[in-house]
Amino acid sequence: MYIIIIGGGKVGYYLGRALLDEGHEILVVEKDPNRNEFICGELGSVCIRGDGCEVATLTEVGTGRADMFIAVTGDDEDNLVACQVAKHKFNVPRTIARISNPQNETIFKKLGIDVTVSSTNIILENIEEEVPTHPLTHLLTIKDKGLEIVEVKIPPDSTTIGKPVKELSLPPETVLSLIIRKQRKPIVPTADTILQAEDQIIAATTPESEEALRTALRGS
Amino acid sequence: MKVVIMGCGRVGARLAGLLDIEGHNVAILDTDAYSFRRLPPDFGGTALVGNGTDEESLKKAGIEEADVFVSLTQGDNRNVMAAQIAKYIFNVPKVVCRIYDPLRRELYNSLGLEAFSPTTIFAQMLKEKLEG
Amino acid sequence: MEFDKILVPVTGTQADDEATRLACRLTKKNKGKIWAVYVITIKRSLPLDAEIEPEIRKAEGILDHIASVAEEEDCEVETDLLQAREAGPTIVDEAAEREVDLILMGVTYKRHFGQFSLGSVVPYVLKNAPCRVILYHQYTP
Repeated sequence: MYIIIIGGGKVGYYLGRALLDEGHEILVVEKDPNRNEFICGELGSVCIRGDGCEVATLTEVGTGRADMFIAVTGDDEDNLVACQVAKHKFNVPRTIARISNPQNETIFKKLGIDVTVSSTNIILENIEEEVPTHPLTHLLTIKDKGLEIVEVKIPPDSTTIGKPVKELSLPPETVLSLIIRKQRKPIVPTADTILQAEDQIIAATTPESEEALRTALRGS
Repeated sequence: MKVVIMGCGRVGARLAGLLDIEGHNVAILDTDAYSFRRLPPDFGGTALVGNGTDEESLKKAGIEEADVFVSLTQGDNRNVMAAQIAKYIFNVPKVVCRIYDPLRRELYNSLGLEAFSPTTIFAQMLKEKLEG
Repeated sequence: MEFDKILVPVTGTQADDEATRLACRLTKKNKGKIWAVYVITIKRSLPLDAEIEPEIRKAEGILDHIASVAEEEDCEVETDLLQAREAGPTIVDEAAEREVDLILMGVTYKRHFGQFSLGSVVPYVLKNAPCRVILYHQYTP
């Protein structure tokens, strides 16, 4: 694949290096001449100096034949415009933008960027996974269906312990798919499965029902 | 009408002043409070420190009730992003933005943004002046 | 000075001929080897393996000419046509791979925006070459 990367900072450089190792043809576009020289010195002739939002630069680097376009500068607005130019002027099939402000995720989606990567959100997700007392962990998001797979732990003081699943007031569009118990095989819950302390429950739900699901499983 | 202007440079401040005199409800945003010195002393509108690509700042400036949004910062990309947020997220009826780069302006015009390039306009104007 | 393996990057200028003759003389005593290489630089808008016929024909013409210049000197050169994004790194890589002990380049007097310029390839080679480098500067009155 031919992959164009806008921004030759740390993210752009390591991303380029990893993609090169995987055998892709890459090109990094970077404004700063020193950075440009550094990348060419390390990775070979795969970096050119220029503004990745400018149509002229993008024409020169052959954006028209790119399979993927990734904008990873430190500025959200630059990443947005670079991706939009690639998408609308050069019809690049897949555009990916790095974003710093997590609020921009929805805006970018609405404005036609295929994929956004928010380092802030990724770090947040990792914290959720690392902190055991955190009530609800996101495991997976199925974007086009608006669904997510989450994990909820039942703390020892939960009011739902000892109750069967059928007595829980689960929100709509929510399915409990698996219960993981200490030192036991995972079980698929039925209506009569009784909740125990320290149960880890894997469920499919929607972002809107997340809070209701947490309350239903842990009691208030 | 209710107007939100992003960027209090010479053009932004002047536009804000003109609209204010005519009795329009003007809010102007800039990331640097020092920029507001350019506003006329009797400016009756609202001046707010904030970033026009940030939804919260835009809401504070009253974007939800705005009839017009104008983005006039020094950064083409910031103007483009703010204008698109105003148009597609807050559905402001009239959105105008400044894009210095003529090629980028052309692209965003074709994507439905009302954009002006001072570069093109001024060069054309000079040419006409020179040719008499 | 004597050399066993010389790389002569050519671009199709008059300076190439003189550089080739000089390379012939420098290797004569040791019956050394000479490689003349021409690098076709491919624009980013095209894939690296694009075949640009006119460029290839031009390059082959230049390399044939270099071979005949060497013949006049009673010397044999091996010619090579390379295709890359940038000439500088390609020349340096080629020199390293063939383990040459000299890169001999002909340069002509060029102006860029009204000022004397060596371009980007020559400084790159001077900076990164894995061996000695001789520049032959064509005098153009």
